[in-house]
Amino acid sequence: MDILREMILPCIYSFIASIAFGVQFNIRFRHMLAAGIGAVLTQLIFIGFEMSGLGQMICYFFAASAVSVYAELMARRLHVPVNMYLVIGIIPLVPGGNLYNTMISFVGGDIDSFSHQFAEAVGIAGSIAMGVFAVSALMRLIGMIVKQTA
Amino acid sequence: MEITANELLHITSRIGSMLITCGAEIYRVEDSLYRIAAAYGFSGESRRIEVFAIPASLIITINDGDSPPLTQTVRISSRGTNLDRVDKLNNLSRYICSEKPDFPTIQKHIDEISGRKVYGDAVRLFSYAIVGATFSLFFGGTPSDALCSGIISMVVFGVSKFVNKVKPSVFFQSVIGSVVIASLSVFVSKLGLTESFDKIIIGASMNLVPGVTLTNCMRDFIAGDFLAGMYTLTEAILIAAGMAVGAASAIALASMI
Repeated sequence: MDILREMILPCIYSFIASIAFGVQFNIRFRHMLAAGIGAVLTQLIFIGFEMSGLGQMICYFFAASAVSVYAELMARRLHVPVNMYLVIGIIPLVPGGNLYNTMISFVGGDIDSFSHQFAEAVGIAGSIAMGVFAVSALMRLIGMIVKQTA
Repeated sequence: MEITANELLHITSRIGSMLITCGAEIYRVEDSLYRIAAAYGFSGESRRIEVFAIPASLIITINDGDSPPLTQTVRISSRGTNLDRVDKLNNLSRYICSEKPDFPTIQKHIDEISGRKVYGDAVRLFSYAIVGATFSLFFGGTPSDALCSGIISMVVFGVSKFVNKVKPSVFFQSVIGSVVIASLSVFVSKLGLTESFDKIIIGASMNLVPGVTLTNCMRDFIAGDFLAGMYTLTEAILIAAGMAVGAASAIALASMI
């Protein structure tokens, strides 16, 4: 397989795009770099899991949980809102292709392709949400336990 | 330093409404305001604060001993994303909790934060272009797709800035943005500049994706703030539906010509 095309280029693209998104969300430059690294990390983990032959949805789940862990840790460390890193890190996972294909098959009236693509897009969005859910809930629990014992 | 109930009401309503308009999670807004009030001793039975926030409004009531309760409602009509301001307000509330400064000092800090400008329009325009171009490459487009997508994204930035002056609903905003993207993309590919228009549309549409809204929605649900979560979830679904409607109608009309 072509490492440059399938691994390095997506990481570079998601890094640049996440910095540009940082500008749109008004994030300071030094936070932008860290957020961009988070996006690259997500991408690498996603590609890694995908290459190991796991199903697509579970890859999205793991990538989303990884970026949530990264965002929570960075936010605790630098005392910034978790959002700042989470939003940027998740954006490269957005299933733009599936959503677009859903819309195109809707226009073309192809109901088989429409339901297939739509189910896939919803499934991906759901797995990303579940990844974030799982990690954030766990982090809240850990935070509460730490607060109680301290 | 002590402050009066009236002054507390003033600063909490300012900080709270600014947090909501800048795209903070709702549970964070309520949490910060409770902490600020507790720092000045408004956390018991007779002296207490009640905060209720949803993305569209903020209600604060302060009880101060035997005097009648004070209430302020702030209606929030439009929200944006300014995570830098959220960060600064977060630091401010942490500072208030630890140092308990007096009222004029807090006022000065809030004015300072509300006056901060992070990026100008030129930089934002450029960022739209970068997002459009890199995402069309990311989804497998050619360099000429990326170029077209970047230019179309800049047009979308201009159009949405113009349209947002009349404060349309989020659904309408995304319909307009998406119509502009799809029609220009089809036009560009009809001119023969690129082979297909799908990668251009996907790339440029990434500018309209409700990323912050969705993330806030998930985090509000986890924190147990279901009302705010449902509100932002509905908003995100409406934006996505608007994007689909806009692009679908533009492509369908273009294919008839």
